[in-house]
Amino acid sequence: MAVQPGPNGRVKLNITRRSFLKAGATAGTLAALGRPTGSLAQKRPGAEIPWYRTGTIETTYNNCDMCPWRCGVLVHTVDGVVRKIEGNPADPKSRGMLCARGQGGVSFVYDPDRLQSPMIRTGERGDGQFREVTWEEALDYSAAKILAIRDTYGPESLAIFGHTSGDFWFTDYFAQAFGTPNAAKPSSSLCLSPREEAFKLMTGLAVGGHEPVDWDGLQCLTLIGSHIGEDARNTVMQDFSNAWARGARVVVVDPRFSSVAAKADYWLPIKPGTDTALLLAWANVLIDEDLYDAGYVADWVAGFDDYAGHVSELTPEWAEAITEIPAETIRTTARVMAENRPRSAIMPGRHVTWYGTDTQRMRAVYAINALLGAYGRQGGMYFNKSAYLEAYPHPPFAVAGSSGGCSAEPGEESDELPLGPSGKARADGARTSFLRGATAMQELIDPMISGEPYPIKGLVTYGVNLFNSIPNVPRTVEAVKELDFFLAVDVLPMEHIAWADVVFPEATFVERYDELWAVPYKTPFISMREPAIEPLYDTRPGWWMARELGIRVGLDNYFQWETAEEYLDKRLLSVGSSLEKMRAQNGVIVQSGKPYLEDFGEASPFTTTSARIELYSEDLAQAGLDPMPVYEPTEEPPAGFYRLLYGRHPVHTFAKTQNTPLLSDLYPENELWLNQRRADEEGVTSGDRVWLENQDGARSGPIKVKATQRIRPDAVFMVHGFGQQSAGLSRADGKGASDTKLQTRYKLDPISGGAGMRVNFVKLVKEV
Amino acid sequence: MAMAFLLDLGRCIGCQACSAACKTGNELAAGTQFIRLIEQTRGEFPDLSGGFTNHRCYHCADAACVNVCPTGALYKEDGLTRTSRDICSGCGYCVEACPFGVPEMVDGLSSKCDGCADTVRAGGEPWCVVTCPSNALEFGEREEIVKEARERVTAMRARYPKARVYGEDEAGGLGVVMVLPDDPDVLDLPVDPAPGALINTWTGIVQPATLALTAGATVAAGVMGVIARRNHMLELKALEEGEEA
Repeated sequence: MAVQPGPNGRVKLNITRRSFLKAGATAGTLAALGRPTGSLAQKRPGAEIPWYRTGTIETTYNNCDMCPWRCGVLVHTVDGVVRKIEGNPADPKSRGMLCARGQGGVSFVYDPDRLQSPMIRTGERGDGQFREVTWEEALDYSAAKILAIRDTYGPESLAIFGHTSGDFWFTDYFAQAFGTPNAAKPSSSLCLSPREEAFKLMTGLAVGGHEPVDWDGLQCLTLIGSHIGEDARNTVMQDFSNAWARGARVVVVDPRFSSVAAKADYWLPIKPGTDTALLLAWANVLIDEDLYDAGYVADWVAGFDDYAGHVSELTPEWAEAITEIPAETIRTTARVMAENRPRSAIMPGRHVTWYGTDTQRMRAVYAINALLGAYGRQGGMYFNKSAYLEAYPHPPFAVAGSSGGCSAEPGEESDELPLGPSGKARADGARTSFLRGATAMQELIDPMISGEPYPIKGLVTYGVNLFNSIPNVPRTVEAVKELDFFLAVDVLPMEHIAWADVVFPEATFVERYDELWAVPYKTPFISMREPAIEPLYDTRPGWWMARELGIRVGLDNYFQWETAEEYLDKRLLSVGSSLEKMRAQNGVIVQSGKPYLEDFGEASPFTTTSARIELYSEDLAQAGLDPMPVYEPTEEPPAGFYRLLYGRHPVHTFAKTQNTPLLSDLYPENELWLNQRRADEEGVTSGDRVWLENQDGARSGPIKVKATQRIRPDAVFMVHGFGQQSAGLSRADGKGASDTKLQTRYKLDPISGGAGMRVNFVKLVKEV
Repeated sequence: MAMAFLLDLGRCIGCQACSAACKTGNELAAGTQFIRLIEQTRGEFPDLSGGFTNHRCYHCADAACVNVCPTGALYKEDGLTRTSRDICSGCGYCVEACPFGVPEMVDGLSSKCDGCADTVRAGGEPWCVVTCPSNALEFGEREEIVKEARERVTAMRARYPKARVYGEDEAGGLGVVMVLPDDPDVLDLPVDPAPGALINTWTGIVQPATLALTAGATVAAGVMGVIARRNHMLELKALEEGEEA
């Protein structure tokens, strides 16, 4: 069934969004309208006169740093003050629209709690006692400490943790030049790793930052634990809304009646931790009822017979007993998915580190998509292509990049881990405690304490909220105490700042140039970031800090440019462009992609040994792991406990935005979603404050109860990122409860190194 | 020319980009919001339905707030309900009269969405419409908006058989024409959002007198204004009690 309200489901009134704040426009056109009169000169709740009439509007190009999605934006300033950030209509992702967090960018910049000056610690770690110093002193001091670590222990002894859009300069560029393979991003092992490793194992390809769902022709979307709307990625909300309005079927698998579950045609309130059983049963139905795409499977899928045999007994009845989803619902949804193939896919999702069995679950997801014939088919899943852009010429790196960044490029994975200059591989246990994948941040904490396999004595964090992202916080605190040197780069005085030896205050995204962003997409594109205003206070851009620090530790040859413009123009020359030319074409360079099978001619897009999608993995079999996904039960909550689930709120990102004035105003503290019946039994009602205690006795701060029908009785849910403890955060300090601090344990995924975090249980404490 | 918003509660996924864009575009102070999203849940686990409603000015054609406003601070223009805070006396009648409970007193003055009168005049769309990632919001000539709403409803009935347009005629026709996935009462919207008999009585009898009184008070002194407001409230309360009796 498909209903057609219009092309792409888009309303016919306005083909493009109409903001009067045009790129590069000045107040000229507005001035012509004259000063506001009558009702316009009113005493507004916010301003006497609309801000855009108070002076000349200047517009610069940027990509938003309020979440990792990085929509292209226009930053409007009036008389040197940023007043409004809007989506850039030319940007393939924002298309002129922007989410609440992006709108909050202005108040992120002008948050009075920002770090203002470089600082060196004067008290004990954790005291938060610092003296303000010059950049010269902060840089010289840090360089001396880093060199001392390098000379005593080797460069591998410096760990670099980076997050958010400027982390390239530290986690990728500086780390590789300096020679440490221990550079990690939370976006890997605390988020995406299982998704990426599963896809590489099966197809040889990367999913890439942007799940390549071919929304335009999609007829059936299946979500497993993806929360479109709460996870407010702008483009995905747009694409989902259009597909939904066009009549695309929506199947949502979630223990919680999420915003998107409320839009679904089928909501499957699955028992947490049992998704793989559902996926195997779906495969059973697709094969048993002959609903799969036999032609596609014959051409593009290897190991089908093995998989068919593997799932032949895994019936919906088998899965019903595990998942608590009725067998008939499992059959019906499988049929709906198949009726719409190949314009039917399960979206890979983003945060998938749940139970430590996550790579196998993701393989079961991709197996369904393969049976539906979705990969490389219109309306299914397209193939991402990276934008072409040459690197700035630099001497060979001391350590290969596959060890550091968010995920290794396909083909960079090898049996041999890249070694640092002292001949040491990563300290995170790759190849021993887990098989493969990008550096696992949480596995670098133990070496700081134990000194095994070798000591990590130095730590640089860039934008990582250290105590509000990595599970087992007590262990992280202990590790930080053991360090010889800890440098923290951040915009705000996050909780871990009090533990740093040196603090570098960073200029926000609207105050700095940054690395160009070559985006893998259906239409690959290059996005730019330029400053709208000078850095506030005594802050500096990340690239400047990395360069100054690099020069001081003997990496001059890697930093041969003087200014960011020089660096960026050199790179842009490789695509016949420049900053000036990019500005003239609305701040974005769009290239053409190769989204579908037919774009590869006779060749295969899949880069596995068989050049097909491999349902059976020889690599895993050789490593002694299950070559096909097997359902492994996860531990059940003890009596009186609930499984702790966590997720997103549409106006917040990770543990980054809780202090941002606008966003704090919209959602100041998180709530505890508790099944209404359970709430009645517990004797609590919405608005009551309770404490949570986990299976290991860890206690949260007080959190407001949200008694709701929207969640299963065996689990509770809270928005991630709250419960931060930092006196310097005037709005976020002590607001709500921290899920991370209740995650004293995690389960390591033996394939990807991901940290499964949904293995913690909490009980309610009504009085303390 | 009558303008209107389209608000599609089928598409709205509750992301609050509208609220944030409104706050930044209009630079509203902390605590002030012209658009609030309310999560709705119906049924018992696991048999649930739900979504989001918007709490925002619906720009009634026959606007109770305009009818009761003693100073003309609330008035109709281009089919939308504008606000002139510089002539608001702070009496708060609009707060009580609105069948949707929308206007709020901010710094002692009536405060609500004015349809981004100024940005529209400058050639743009209201901030919330510009930013909405779900295409749940549109803005245009009311006639076109109503047509679009009907088309969306027709399409939506394949999924939600009870889908309907709301606001085409309600309260004389709203300036926010809504696409509803279900009946209005199910979505906590008044089936007939006409202002209560209280308001009709009041506008017929009391308003002419109070208008003069308030104007006088405003000219005379702030103190007088406060007294006038207190008097208004007493009158209103008396009327209310009369209604109940």
